[in-house]
Amino acid sequence: MNKVKILFFATLKDRTGTRESHLEISAGTTVSELKDLLLQRFPELPKSKASLLVAINKEYAFDQEEIPQGAEIALFPPVSGG
Amino acid sequence: MDHPTIFSITESELDLNDLLAQITLPATGAACFFSGVVRGVTARGEPHQTLHLEYEAYVPMAEAKMKQVADEIRQRWPDVEGIAIVQRVGTLMPGTPTVLIGCTAAHRDTGVFEAARYGIDRLKEIVPIWKKEVSPAGEQWIEGDYVPKPGE
Repeated sequence: MNKVKILFFATLKDRTGTRESHLEISAGTTVSELKDLLLQRFPELPKSKASLLVAINKEYAFDQEEIPQGAEIALFPPVSGG
Repeated sequence: MDHPTIFSITESELDLNDLLAQITLPATGAACFFSGVVRGVTARGEPHQTLHLEYEAYVPMAEAKMKQVADEIRQRWPDVEGIAIVQRVGTLMPGTPTVLIGCTAAHRDTGVFEAARYGIDRLKEIVPIWKKEVSPAGEQWIEGDYVPKPGE
């Protein structure tokens, strides 16, 4: 098993009412599979890929990537700084 | 001489003179800064008023991505000497500077204008910062439209 930390930002934090969550996933879980798991647990998350960005250990992550052990995962909408 | 690269997220007031001094070298003869400001009255698109903006950042990733933006600037404009990228977060009122992007070089024809422009454009694409707009009609998270690609 792989214990990961999940952080939510901006509208995703508001929608889920969650800033931080911890999850146990099986080794080899991909980003795409993780998104499916999270959508079941947090149905308020957007289903559209363009509205749900994923970062693993502070780098953008993509569907086919496997999640490393103990990863810090962040979920957020497209950025709007400046 | 080492070329200074400054990148940070801060809750404090932005200090243009301090930042300029930090990226001014003995060989510097030109500095170009961009600053974003909280706009109280918007005319473009749907005209509306803004009471304030609330900024939030994923700080460790934001600072790593600011460093990446600075690296990209150096690749494109090798004559740029100092680079500063600073974003203020928290609740910011109309008229308040929100972000400073500064580039210095020996001369003005070295790409400093384009480099500062690139810096703010790129910050708005890949640096994880978000703002919520509070207007007389209510509040709303502003969402960007850029989806980063692998390697970004």
